[in-house]
Amino acid sequence: MTSRVLFRAAAMLLITIWTAFAAGPLFWVGVISLRSTSEFMNSPYALPEAWRFDKYVTAWTSSGYDVYFVNSLIVVLSAVAIVTVVGAMAAHCLARYRFPGNRAVYFLIFSTIVLPPQITIIALFQTLANIGLYDTRIGLILVYAAVQLPLTVYILESFFARIPADLFDAARIDGYSEWATFWKVAFPVAMPAIATVVILNTILLWNEFLYAVVLIVDDAKRTLPLGIQKFMGDQLEDYGMIATGLMIAIIPVVLIYAFFSEKLIQGMTAGAVK
Amino acid sequence: MPFRRRTLGVLAAIATAGATLTPLRAQAQEITLWSHWAAEQPKRQFVEEAIRRFQAANPGVTVKTTWYEKNALYAALRTALRAGQGPDVFYAEPDQVEYVQNNFLLDLTQGIDWDKVEPWARQIWTYNGRSYGLPLEAWTVEMYVNTKLLQELGGAVPASLQHTQSEFLELVRKARARNITPISAGVGDRPFTGAFLTHETLLMRLGKEDYGKLLGGQLRWDDPRVVDSLRFVRSLVEARAFPPGVATMQLGQSHTYFHTNPGTAFFPMGSWYTSRAFNPPDQGGQPADFPLGVMRIPLPDNAACPRCRTIAVGGSYVVNARTRHPDAARAFLNAFTTPEMGNLWLESVMVQTGIKADASRIQGARAGYFRQLAASNADAEYFFGIPLQILQGRVRDTFVQVVNNAFISGQASVEDVVRQMNAAQQAR
Amino acid sequence: MTAIDAMAAPMPAVAEERPVWAAVVPFLLPAAVFYLGLTAYPVVRTIWNSFHHVLPAGDDFVGMANYAELWADDTFWRAVRNTLTWALAAPLLEVGIAMLLALALYAKVPGARFLRIAWFTPVLMSYVVVGIIWAWIYNYDWGAVNVLLRTIGLDEWTRPWLGTTDTALPALILVTTWMWTGFNMVVLLAALHSLPSEVMEASELDRCGWGSKLWHVIVPLVRPTILNLLVLSFVGKMKIFDLVWIATKGGPLWSTETVSTYTYKRAFEWSTFDLGYPSAIATVWFVIVMAGVGVLTWALRQRQKLEY
Repeated sequence: MTSRVLFRAAAMLLITIWTAFAAGPLFWVGVISLRSTSEFMNSPYALPEAWRFDKYVTAWTSSGYDVYFVNSLIVVLSAVAIVTVVGAMAAHCLARYRFPGNRAVYFLIFSTIVLPPQITIIALFQTLANIGLYDTRIGLILVYAAVQLPLTVYILESFFARIPADLFDAARIDGYSEWATFWKVAFPVAMPAIATVVILNTILLWNEFLYAVVLIVDDAKRTLPLGIQKFMGDQLEDYGMIATGLMIAIIPVVLIYAFFSEKLIQGMTAGAVK
Repeated sequence: MPFRRRTLGVLAAIATAGATLTPLRAQAQEITLWSHWAAEQPKRQFVEEAIRRFQAANPGVTVKTTWYEKNALYAALRTALRAGQGPDVFYAEPDQVEYVQNNFLLDLTQGIDWDKVEPWARQIWTYNGRSYGLPLEAWTVEMYVNTKLLQELGGAVPASLQHTQSEFLELVRKARARNITPISAGVGDRPFTGAFLTHETLLMRLGKEDYGKLLGGQLRWDDPRVVDSLRFVRSLVEARAFPPGVATMQLGQSHTYFHTNPGTAFFPMGSWYTSRAFNPPDQGGQPADFPLGVMRIPLPDNAACPRCRTIAVGGSYVVNARTRHPDAARAFLNAFTTPEMGNLWLESVMVQTGIKADASRIQGARAGYFRQLAASNADAEYFFGIPLQILQGRVRDTFVQVVNNAFISGQASVEDVVRQMNAAQQAR
Repeated sequence: MTAIDAMAAPMPAVAEERPVWAAVVPFLLPAAVFYLGLTAYPVVRTIWNSFHHVLPAGDDFVGMANYAELWADDTFWRAVRNTLTWALAAPLLEVGIAMLLALALYAKVPGARFLRIAWFTPVLMSYVVVGIIWAWIYNYDWGAVNVLLRTIGLDEWTRPWLGTTDTALPALILVTTWMWTGFNMVVLLAALHSLPSEVMEASELDRCGWGSKLWHVIVPLVRPTILNLLVLSFVGKMKIFDLVWIATKGGPLWSTETVSTYTYKRAFEWSTFDLGYPSAIATVWFVIVMAGVGVLTWALRQRQKLEY
């Protein structure tokens, strides 16, 4: 019996250590974000003496985070809207219609999930520069939509394929066109899966850095990850302010997670359990 | 591509017109400027003052500035220029010959009062007989010292302003014995700040000509004089002269590390030290009563050229070859080339400049510092450019990784440096 | 899913008798435009680039010169070695630890709901944020790691973790482990919950030891999930860029250089302005990654369902 107790104690200890390890860094940055840099330098691991929530206001108004945040919002939401519609149409089509090359198309799209981004980034840069979309939010939106397309099609296709055929037959008898069938029948039925990909794509794109750093230079068009990087200055590092900026980038994602954790986990684990 | 054709047309028109200082057309023009120095208040204020004066003298022309940190600026420029875009005027340093080679820069041979610019500084920006950059900033490598700490260590600033290598090593050991870090340096975010001691030692030991050959690849790194010089720096490393975290310490941190916390005796740094250290203390500047001294880099035994030291052109402004406002951009740059602006630079920035100016006229609280800097540079024989501005491609990358970083953080021995630099020279 | 699997997969259940191109084309067209324009064409153009010097002034055909240079490029091979080390070590760490954590939650330790959230959160952050936080944690003077070591009297163990060639790569591998273990844990937990409860109860009754129960009963049952996670993690590490770029830029002495950072440096940071050579790196890496995934999936003989 003692061995059992010891085992339990050891397990609890390890779990506690891992929890501190996993959650500690975020907690620490959260604390720094409410302290001034000089307070932080005097004692990096103390709790705030005064809770300086006004730093969030300062970061927002005078460090440009309002611009970066709005840019991120515009780019991510537009890209997600586009990729959801485009991806859902393709997924519905691949799941529903039998035509020669169906599986080939599916495989082609699917296989790009594992594509290393370097293989496209250089040529995307050249291409966007050629057509005048380099350093524009539209260019970045289109690229983001293309990048997330395979994953979106993949998750949605498996869901659409499970929609019972009777539903479509009934729709046809009711005189729905193929187009109307998609929008009025398939799309609403697939709402749970759509929500999953929307949330998943939002988080992945919110955090995206490589494409943004290559395709955007204008300060007024930077997204949050670029904006944060800009503050990794060479002057006296303003740790307190950088931490505030980090939290501004993290909080929306944590909020999404808090409200939609089940959906998000479904999205991230989709298929992986099979 | 209509944009490109129009730009070419404009360029051709300018070329035929001779492009001298034509009065600017009255229509509203906006010049965009991307500049480093986001956090270097004195330089930034100087440029902002210049813009104010320029705009007052040229109604209808406005200058829109975006301030960057250096690394972010370089990254942005490389892609923007490659994409055929970019600002009208931007910050560049003369090592960026690739801009010239790829025709990204507007020829500034005409339209600038070059007789108001130091000839050597113009020379550094001249390729194939054409000048491409306005050399605002010039700088030398100095050994900054906390004189109070130096006295506590039983040392003093010699009359020659230069220790011998053995004296210097002795002071380093004394500091270490008292648990003081002797020399501050930060190479985490800069490719050259860790190489100052090494290349200045090499320059004095080899003399200008052979040092030039070393950087040019005609002299090998296993030359005994080179090995000697590396040994000296290595002996400092072995005496634990540098901060333990030097490999990841950033440039800004290394300043604070020298003058405030924890405080070191020495700080080999470009003379643009002042542009950070003379900020108010709460913005990373040195304490108000800081006992700053300026010395030369320690003198090697058997130095071929004891008075030799490096002078480099640093921050400069250049014009994008594809600008739509070439006249206005040239006029903007030319607004910097007056003795008044040169003196304003010296007074406010406290770093040398490529604009002709009269340092003796500097007045005010910081005049003493400028006399110290002048004393350190008395009778100097200058070599133009730091290695980074001369090396290209793989040798440059190796120099940055090995000499600048791994060598002074103790991760590369003298033999490693010799082997890797020789290999990189052969690979080019 | 391999090519063969995909081809052999059953056709959609809802079959139309008549040709449906009129419906198929409009539905597929937008995706096809995106796919061809912003994925397929860039891939082809990159491969085309790799046989040229691509300079602002124009392109010169150079044949295999870029590939020949690549073959002799020590930095490239260094980057390959680092990336492969990462891609092979990280999956084992992440999935191994995740399995233990998932079992803990499956065994209903107190506070399981809170723990699941706490462990999962790191994966929500961007690599930029993570890179900055961990560069601070590894800071020599005040970073948590060294502060902790000094507190427990191990002063001689302190070092600049990201500034030392021996420790920089392991330190970064630890960061990705920190980040991704929670995600793997959640997936494994879902897999455990989907197991028929009789199996678990049966092994409970057998009273076999914990270790053997884990190894002989649980692991085989969730083996497909584990293999999928391993491949997923492998692919993620083969692409890694942001974390390195923010935390070390590949230094010191190329000890954390990855293929992605080297490609980026050669394309957008080196003074050459040539896009041909980095395209050759990207092409070679593309082939290696695709081959790696192919070999892994073939060797594991499992249906792969990948996400990233």
